[in-house]
Amino acid sequence: MAKTTYYVPIGPIHPALKEPIRVEAEVEGEKIVKVDVKRGFAHRGIEYMGMKRNAIQTLYLSERICGICSISHPYAFVIGSEKALGIEAPPRAQYIRTIIAELERIHSHILWLGVIAHEIGFDSLLFWTWKGREKVLDILEAITGNRINYSMYMIGGVRRDLKESHIRVLKDMITYYWEFTEHMKEVFLSDPVYKARTRGVAQVSKDVALKLNLVGPTARAAGLRMDIRQDIPYDAYADIDVKAVVPQDIVGEARGDAYDVTMVRIYEIEQSLDIIEYCIDNLPEGKILAIPNYIALLNKIKKTEGEGIGAHEAPRGEVVHYFRYDGTRDGPAVWKVIAPSYNNINSWGYCLLGAEVADIPVVVAYIDPCMCCNDRVAVVKDSTGKILDYSILHRKAVEKTRALEKELGVMK
Amino acid sequence: MTLTAENVFDKLKEELGDAILNYEFKEYKMGVKKPRTYKEIWMEIDKNAFRRAIEAIFKIEYPHLHFITGEDIGESIRMIYSFGLFHEHPWGEVSIVIKFDLPKNKLVLPTITDLMMGAETNEREIREMLGVEFDGLKNKRHLFLPDDWPEGKYPWRRDEYGVDDMIKHTHKSVKDIREERGEQNG
Repeated sequence: MAKTTYYVPIGPIHPALKEPIRVEAEVEGEKIVKVDVKRGFAHRGIEYMGMKRNAIQTLYLSERICGICSISHPYAFVIGSEKALGIEAPPRAQYIRTIIAELERIHSHILWLGVIAHEIGFDSLLFWTWKGREKVLDILEAITGNRINYSMYMIGGVRRDLKESHIRVLKDMITYYWEFTEHMKEVFLSDPVYKARTRGVAQVSKDVALKLNLVGPTARAAGLRMDIRQDIPYDAYADIDVKAVVPQDIVGEARGDAYDVTMVRIYEIEQSLDIIEYCIDNLPEGKILAIPNYIALLNKIKKTEGEGIGAHEAPRGEVVHYFRYDGTRDGPAVWKVIAPSYNNINSWGYCLLGAEVADIPVVVAYIDPCMCCNDRVAVVKDSTGKILDYSILHRKAVEKTRALEKELGVMK
Repeated sequence: MTLTAENVFDKLKEELGDAILNYEFKEYKMGVKKPRTYKEIWMEIDKNAFRRAIEAIFKIEYPHLHFITGEDIGESIRMIYSFGLFHEHPWGEVSIVIKFDLPKNKLVLPTITDLMMGAETNEREIREMLGVEFDGLKNKRHLFLPDDWPEGKYPWRRDEYGVDDMIKHTHKSVKDIREERGEQNG
């Protein structure tokens, strides 16, 4: 009998995916023989919007690229802009920026640990990890005023200072998370079921990781010592001498699978705690903004010509922003954003080949994908092939609401 | 072993010679308590020497590709490639930015996917957004744009091949559309 293959389309909207992306797999029995990934379902043309606005407006727009790592994009943005414009942030601001970025890494990594537990089917573990994540979110809210989209960074510094009371809660938090990570190591790394479900799944060797241009914990799990905080240090990282966390330093070998990624992420939470501790113990005094007057800052941007690249090691991997200011406008003339998922999704096609259908969620989740970061136009057509633009879609939505109101008898 | 930015540049200069039209070392001071400087190499090259330049970089060490982007500057498209060398060494990464102008009547570049598989995503994006054709690129499917995106429209272009007419349409108000159709407002 001839072999029959079946086509399994997953997404763009699917219960296993939190965000829209389409994985087209061809299966032979339980084995996947061909994979194609289609992105672009959440492309919003943010770079185009940014090039029409002034730099401060664009900075806050960049924060909206991603909700989870909402400090990573502004961080790369301010570094890139400062390099292009020749502005230097005051020492205190540099340390505060580092603290906020590390707090975000803790919450993002714990979030991922919950997601991977959910994908495997351990929902109680998801609830437990996410309960533990609340503490860091509360602290972020206490410092910045928001649980997400902190609006904390500014070109040449930060907008809010760190008070004595914040330092006190940060110290409490460090003690709490040291204990919490010990528990996580036990629950995730020693659990035989978790190990059976993740060992050998989504395996990438060091060589392949390099060729696929992978970044972040995904690359580090494969044994690649790559970390922007170590390779091109910036802000307080330059004083700390951060070392990339790789499995070979922890257990002696790197296999580059979903289990190793879990290990790297848990140990990186501990590394973040160390970094925060160093920063609060050595927090320099002084001002927090190089140019406190925003009008003066915009005027400087308008008169400065230059280009620069800002790179930040986000929780998921490196975020790179390229800028060119042309000296005629108060915003960037060119702005290009590269998010970690942009590179890391390359690994799906490789990892899914030969894998089982049930492993798709683990492979998809192991890189901690973020479609909002990755996609930054959608065209909707009706049955006759006519393109429906925003106003028509809006009208249709309003019409539906009106019809429902009529049906339910609540029309005024 | 890592090389300094100057040493890397010397090696590139040896391979490329006069094909380097312009270069600059950008220096940045990083760190508060232990300030150190790190350098980036920015160079403009002759577009015909592009493949040679990439091969020269791969000869020094297998790099990490930061990004590939392009800008519509009127008569031509300015391509920008950014690589990082020695990315596994603390303070050791040497960042190389290569820039060159590609005339709009001949938007063809050799692919680098044979050297680095991961560059496919970048090349596919540049292809659909700017209309630059990559010689040797195997997967030419759209990356972000829908499969039925109109041919010959490139969102990053600022000339007649751009999407200005589409953008204008997107921002039309319901009032404008009704007026065009001759429908009654209100």
